[in-house]
Amino acid sequence: MSLTASTEHTVLWPLTGGIHPPEMKLLSNTTPIQRLLPANEYFLPLPQVGETAVLAIKQGQRVLKGQPLTRGISAMYLAVHAPTSGTIAAIEPRPSNHPSALPVLTCVLQSDGLDEAVSFTAASEPLSHEQILQRIRDAGIAGMGGAMFPSHIKLNPASKIKRLIINGVECEPYITADDRLMREYASDILNGVALMQQLLQPETTTIAIEDNKPEAAQAMRQALAASTLPQCSIQVIPTKYPSGGEKQLIQILTGQEVPSGAIPAHLGIVVQNVGTAFAIQQAVYQGVPLLERVITVTGSNIEKPGNYWVSVGTPIRHILEQTGFKATPDSKVIVGGPMMGYTLSTVDVPVLKGSNCLLLPQAQELADAPQERSCIRCGECAQVCPVSLLPQQLYWHAKAAEYDKAENFHLQDCIECGCCSYVCPSDIPLVQYYRVAKAAIRKTREEKLHAEHAKMRFEARSLRMEQEKLEREAKAREAAEKRKSAMSGNEKDAVAAALARVKAKQAAQGAVEESPAPTTADSKATIAAAVSGIKAQNQETSGSNVTNQEDKKAAIAAAIARAKAKKIAATPTLTETLTASAPAQAADKKAKVAAAIASAKAKRTQAADTPNTEAQLSAPNATDKQAMIAAAVAKAKARKAAVENTSAEVDNAAVTVEASSAPTTLTESTTDAAQKARIAAAVAKAKAKKASSATATEAPEKTTAASTIAAAAKQHTEGNMPETVNTDGDTHASVSLSDDKKARVVAAVAKAKQKARERAREQENN
Amino acid sequence: MAFKIASSPHINRQLQTSTVMQRVLLCAMPALVVQCAFFGWGTLIQVILAMTVAMCAEALIMQLRQRPVIHTISDNSALLTAFLLGVAIPPLAPWWLILIGTAFAIVIVKQLYGGLGQNLFNPAMAAYVLLLIAFPVQMTSWVAPITAAQHSVSFLDTLHIIFSSSQIAVADTYRLGIDGTTMATPLDTLKTDLHSGITTADSLQKLIFNGWAGKGWFWVNLTYLAGGLMMLRLKLIRWHISAGVLGALFICSAVAWAWEPLTHVSPLMQLFSGATMVGAFFIATDPVTAATSNRGRLLFGAIIGVLVYLIRSFGGYPDAFAFAVLLANISAPLIDYYIKPRTYGHLRG
Repeated sequence: MSLTASTEHTVLWPLTGGIHPPEMKLLSNTTPIQRLLPANEYFLPLPQVGETAVLAIKQGQRVLKGQPLTRGISAMYLAVHAPTSGTIAAIEPRPSNHPSALPVLTCVLQSDGLDEAVSFTAASEPLSHEQILQRIRDAGIAGMGGAMFPSHIKLNPASKIKRLIINGVECEPYITADDRLMREYASDILNGVALMQQLLQPETTTIAIEDNKPEAAQAMRQALAASTLPQCSIQVIPTKYPSGGEKQLIQILTGQEVPSGAIPAHLGIVVQNVGTAFAIQQAVYQGVPLLERVITVTGSNIEKPGNYWVSVGTPIRHILEQTGFKATPDSKVIVGGPMMGYTLSTVDVPVLKGSNCLLLPQAQELADAPQERSCIRCGECAQVCPVSLLPQQLYWHAKAAEYDKAENFHLQDCIECGCCSYVCPSDIPLVQYYRVAKAAIRKTREEKLHAEHAKMRFEARSLRMEQEKLEREAKAREAAEKRKSAMSGNEKDAVAAALARVKAKQAAQGAVEESPAPTTADSKATIAAAVSGIKAQNQETSGSNVTNQEDKKAAIAAAIARAKAKKIAATPTLTETLTASAPAQAADKKAKVAAAIASAKAKRTQAADTPNTEAQLSAPNATDKQAMIAAAVAKAKARKAAVENTSAEVDNAAVTVEASSAPTTLTESTTDAAQKARIAAAVAKAKAKKASSATATEAPEKTTAASTIAAAAKQHTEGNMPETVNTDGDTHASVSLSDDKKARVVAAVAKAKQKARERAREQENN
Repeated sequence: MAFKIASSPHINRQLQTSTVMQRVLLCAMPALVVQCAFFGWGTLIQVILAMTVAMCAEALIMQLRQRPVIHTISDNSALLTAFLLGVAIPPLAPWWLILIGTAFAIVIVKQLYGGLGQNLFNPAMAAYVLLLIAFPVQMTSWVAPITAAQHSVSFLDTLHIIFSSSQIAVADTYRLGIDGTTMATPLDTLKTDLHSGITTADSLQKLIFNGWAGKGWFWVNLTYLAGGLMMLRLKLIRWHISAGVLGALFICSAVAWAWEPLTHVSPLMQLFSGATMVGAFFIATDPVTAATSNRGRLLFGAIIGVLVYLIRSFGGYPDAFAFAVLLANISAPLIDYYIKPRTYGHLRG
């Protein structure tokens, strides 16, 4: 056609850099594409399963040739089909066709030898765009030049495409798969090109072929002359590696450069491989999915080098067996060409949709690179770099792990074509250095991203916690208000009275000793502790009836009480923790604190010379000290209640303690029996101590009352009685008891006291 | 069966550093022959001496650094350094001069910086400057071209002069006996004359110039040029540095000469005298100490060319290549930092 002839000699731009390695194509391109015997089993990697696809088959199931193995709806989904009929022997991780051979989920298909296919529906009438795209998608067609990018995405670009380039360059030495395909299936390829044109509506279409494939170019020319493709031309370009790279080919044909980090569609260009064009026409016109491809098996370690139709998923071992691979211990099995191919450590991996070559060289054919020597900065690498990098600088920085500097030299634009390593007189594996550097940069980026995510998560969590805390506090305050208003008049009176008493005490105390004004809840607790300490000292000095032993006890008790109060005061966080922790735990701790305070109080009471366990709130003539202690404790309770007002138990505890200073109705309205028991035990212990001191001062009524309480407490603690304990001993039992009985009671009380103390100690330890 | 693992590419051009160095040396050999033809056996003896010292020094230092000795000295880079120093110093210079120079070049300038590829300065030129500053008398007593001196010094006599313990006295004997065996170089003479108010034309009438550019020197430079072109053809070097040097030197001298021909050296004489050609093709092109990008190399070469012109015209030393190269070496990292090629897909600027 005249059109073809006229566009044949358009301007070509030179490729930057590039090399001319020995082509070695004659080894495999002189024979037509052949077929190998089918394999017994096929490995079909399913890398998308679990991410964007699901299994459509299960183990043991029989599948037919062309039956899809997965289902997926995402845009990047790439269909995988059974290459022949047979049963699914396993779905498990198997070594991947990758330099790392890392296992990937693979469907193992045991062939039944029947090669029974599902019915492929050929297109009978012209198809719409959507229908064509759907067929391409269903056929699982991916870029067959090696990149394996899903074709249905590339053929459905968002922007207007001006130029379609069909890549038949095949610049890598040794590989002739596209060469043979163009020679033998030129018109089929053009049919595929026609479909792409229909999808993309480009202004021009160029089929690029290197000038070392004159037969292929001739075949394509003839096919083009016979076809009706609009605005399509064959462009023969000079042989130079790596002209077949997508970006390089665009540069040669258009003089334009794909911006760094962008795709060719950015320039209105789409590049497709000739093999892809062939697969597309098969999929669209015949309804046959991408089941097989042409692969070049070459190298001097192969008896029958050539091109073969091979089903996707065929184990490479099978291909090597069929083509006469002469394995020696130092053999290399290279997937791809000598410039960019990678070696396999195992041949039990499948052929992929992008595998275009198996290269089996003899040791002397592709000699191992000698030991790396020093870079002499000769700059040959920079001369041949097709993307105009400074490979020697990249190497310098990559070797020193200065990855940021390597990035400044555009390491990310390296296409890993291998030209620099090829020309390096010091045999430095430059590309390998760049791969390592790129991987390190990728890893650092990912780690950075992770760290950022973690930071964001942490900040969000902190914010949430803060908000929750505020909410909780607001709720607690509300609840406290409610509870206050709901409290019975009696209780209110009691609390109010206790507060009033505290104030009175403080006023009285203020005259004698310095007692700082209670400003905050914390300082109140401190004051309470201080007051109780002072009390204890006062008692020590004034208590004439008190024995030395009791003296000491009182001092110790006072010290303990002070320490506890301080602890409570000094650790507001503890009370916060209490608020935040589980209610049971909080209640538990509260109960312990209540018990401890009660015991401290009891000791103080014991030390008092005129013990008045009545200590009526209304009676102003009750002993100063007793009242003061009660006040301190009440104040501490009140404070605690304010802090821990989420739990009604604290209120109860406060009330209980209040009651214990004035004899005594131990009312426990809460639910937990164990806690009640513990609180009751503490209260009882307090009573017992009071009672013992009462004995020392010959106060019979009190003793009786105390003994009754002690007994009740003992019973209560040992029996874990869940009911409310009423110990109104002081009003009932006291009057009628004789002196004899008193003596007995003293003994009993002493015992009870001992036990209570032990118990208290245990609780403290707990 | 486990197969061999290797990273791509799996093919290599098979042109190795040792081969490159070897070929560079071969390209320089014709010039050595010409130099010997004009200046006697001295140069050859100096080169052989320097090569021996260089190999020994490199082997010794590799032993000390516990690196593979054979692997390193077989890269032939020390031989090239020794060669360049050997042809640069006066042919009848005493033996210890070349020994000190070569040992300094290999041990201090090259190996102490980390060996081949790591040195900041061109070893041969650094050593030359050391010798020039430390032993100015020995370094500036150049042999007169044989034809100019009418008497040639035999190989054995040359050996005797070089290895004689009282070298100066012996040389003086020769100087007295054979007029003009050692003398200043043509460039030196010209500079002295120009400073004394003699015009270029008058100075060039002197015997030593034998027309222009100096007898012998012209031919030596011409053979180095031929060797350089051969290297370009073999792609052992790229054209950028040499073109930068020669271009800048030519332009500078042409401007000055056009402005005042009587007191300035003609550009062609600049190009074909002294160390111009060996410097432009064999010394400045040492890739280790040069800039790496093409544009960077052009600039690197131009810096050398301009410096050579300036030092030759206004400096105190007769020839300027060593200083110019060292100064350009210093600026090479800076050039590499600022002048990078535009990477594919990146916008200009």
